[in-house]
Amino acid sequence: MKLILTATALSLMASTALAETTITVQYAYPELFDTTQNEMVKAFEMKHPDIKVEFRSAYKDYEDAAQRVLREGITGNVPDVTFQGLNRVRVLADKGIAVALDDFIAAEKDFNAAGYHEGMRQAGTVDGKVYGLPFAISLPIVYYNMDLVKKAGFDENSLPKTWDEIVALSKKIKAGGEADGIGTEWAITGNWLWQAMVFANGGTMLNADESKVAFDGEAGKKAIGTLASLVTEAQSPDMTPNEMLAAFSAGKIGVMVTTTARVNAVTKQIGGKFELKTGNYPDLQEGVSRLPAGGNVAMITAKDKAKQNAAWEFLKFATGPEGGAIMVKTTGYMAPNNKAADLLKDFYTENPNQAVALSQLPYLTGWYAFPGDNGLKITDVIKDRLQSIMDGSRAEEADAVLADMAADTQALLPRR
Amino acid sequence: MTLSASQNRAGLALMAPAAMLAVIFLLLPLLAIFVLAFTDYQLGDRTLHFIGFDNFRELADEPIFWTSLGNTLLYSAVVVPGSVTLGLVSALLIDARTSLRSFYRTVFFLPVMASLLAMAVVWEFMLHPSFGIVNTALKAIGLAPHNWLKDGDIALYVLAVIGIWQSFGFNMVLFMAGLSAIPRDLYDAAEIDGAPNAWARFSLITWPLLAPVTVFVSITAMIRSFQVFDTVHALTQGGPSKSTEVLLYTIYAEGFEFFRSGRAAAITVVFIALVVAVSLMRFVSFKKNGKPA
Repeated sequence: MKLILTATALSLMASTALAETTITVQYAYPELFDTTQNEMVKAFEMKHPDIKVEFRSAYKDYEDAAQRVLREGITGNVPDVTFQGLNRVRVLADKGIAVALDDFIAAEKDFNAAGYHEGMRQAGTVDGKVYGLPFAISLPIVYYNMDLVKKAGFDENSLPKTWDEIVALSKKIKAGGEADGIGTEWAITGNWLWQAMVFANGGTMLNADESKVAFDGEAGKKAIGTLASLVTEAQSPDMTPNEMLAAFSAGKIGVMVTTTARVNAVTKQIGGKFELKTGNYPDLQEGVSRLPAGGNVAMITAKDKAKQNAAWEFLKFATGPEGGAIMVKTTGYMAPNNKAADLLKDFYTENPNQAVALSQLPYLTGWYAFPGDNGLKITDVIKDRLQSIMDGSRAEEADAVLADMAADTQALLPRR
Repeated sequence: MTLSASQNRAGLALMAPAAMLAVIFLLLPLLAIFVLAFTDYQLGDRTLHFIGFDNFRELADEPIFWTSLGNTLLYSAVVVPGSVTLGLVSALLIDARTSLRSFYRTVFFLPVMASLLAMAVVWEFMLHPSFGIVNTALKAIGLAPHNWLKDGDIALYVLAVIGIWQSFGFNMVLFMAGLSAIPRDLYDAAEIDGAPNAWARFSLITWPLLAPVTVFVSITAMIRSFQVFDTVHALTQGGPSKSTEVLLYTIYAEGFEFFRSGRAAAITVVFIALVVAVSLMRFVSFKKNGKPA
């Protein structure tokens, strides 16, 4: 009897000594992130033997991710850490499912020195509080079919730096008769590229207190003018995103503007058909321009304090240099953390097309989510208005389209 | 016939599991939809307010809803006659010959069995504006190419053609079953009576005797056409500018993309009413015929 008691006591002591906390983690797009997450957790558990990470079956995509965690929020069955699309942070913050991270960040010494810069915090901020740290991000860049570019009389040293130059190059490619000049993936979730164009011009979507549309100001007028000129001058074809990607990979489009996340897939699809080069998003001005991050963000949903602490350790690891380096090598997304790139020097020398977007990191900002119950519906009305520019039906009256777009959006904003 | 009390109890006990499952998985969700349609509920909310008919009033004022309803009816108006006619014609042609019957039957039935989502990807490539096989073929014979999925005037019809391609094989199989039920000696009798040609045989014997099958096929085809979703989701996402927005896609977008659950439930109620109305049509037509198919 005594023996049994001692044994129990011993085993109790042993388990308190290890003090194992288990956290559950759930992420989206298993086909992209399975390897990443497994490798990352292995490295994490090595460093933190007291924390055990368990996965829940992955979300199919960002829509599924948001739906599932919203439903689980009602039944109280949320995971401890969830990876969500960057534009869904707001919904989860509004419904009180995500935990604000400001206290954790304040308790960290040298948080900035660990590579977490202002833009990274902005990306997951809602109403002045940080709810998520970006994990795998993408920024808009420009893809060039160098064979077509060279035929148009340009080379890698004279690649466009402004929209005007892009339009000029696209016109020449189109005039060559072999391919279309330019395609933009403007339809991603309805408004990501639109935000990029407005933010790059120094504009915002709404005014400071989010009561009024602000994208109809100077920055927005310039942005819609640029979009329209792609149609009226460069004769950008009206295609669905899939059609455009296929056409570019087949050498039927010279210039393509879309997310960095596609570099891997596009390179594979091109095979050896032509030389691909990527270039920076045009017209970036220091101190004025910002670019919205696409991709996903890690959020804490645990309610229990011990689990929250463990989850925070995991968040730091995933969004820090080590997690970032593993993620970049296994996916093709960018790691937002400034220090991650230091661990990836060899990788980026071997993959220069991936490295291009790194120089855009200083411009990083959040992917803006509209406020209120109709927040996601607003992205849809913006998409429909942009469509009328891109299919040419109203490309000649871009300012009128912008006014309509602003009116539609204003009507869906919360009334105060 | 009367049942003893114990027989009665046994009967009820045997029925209970199925009845319970039906209540849990069919009636309760349906009831939830009807309740949600009268609230301002959004996915993730912990509370909800009853707002009476507000959702329906807002729907009535919303152009997108009417576009969506109109597109669904238009899609149905193209797909139902198309797939029923094509199904009947192919059934008659296959039935007329004895050789290679099962081969043709399998080939035409293939699109029904294939995953429409996977097939949509194939269609997407065929319809590609710059190098799709459809445009290449049109150019080769000197016709103007089209931007099939991005032209608001034709996109819905393109989806309808895909819908016909996908569903006519199903109708064909039903018609073939109907044809095999027609007694052969009727045709022999018609020949003796001097029916002049194949058309007379069809219009005097086949068509009238197939009538119950035709009604059944048309109504199921109609209900299935109301349920179009996969191709819209995969190929156009309701665009360009809502020209291919159909009811089921609107419900999906409202509920799962915009999280406006109350609104989505209200559209679902409209959708259910539509399907029930069509099903009633079937009921009424059977009553008139005096026997079910």
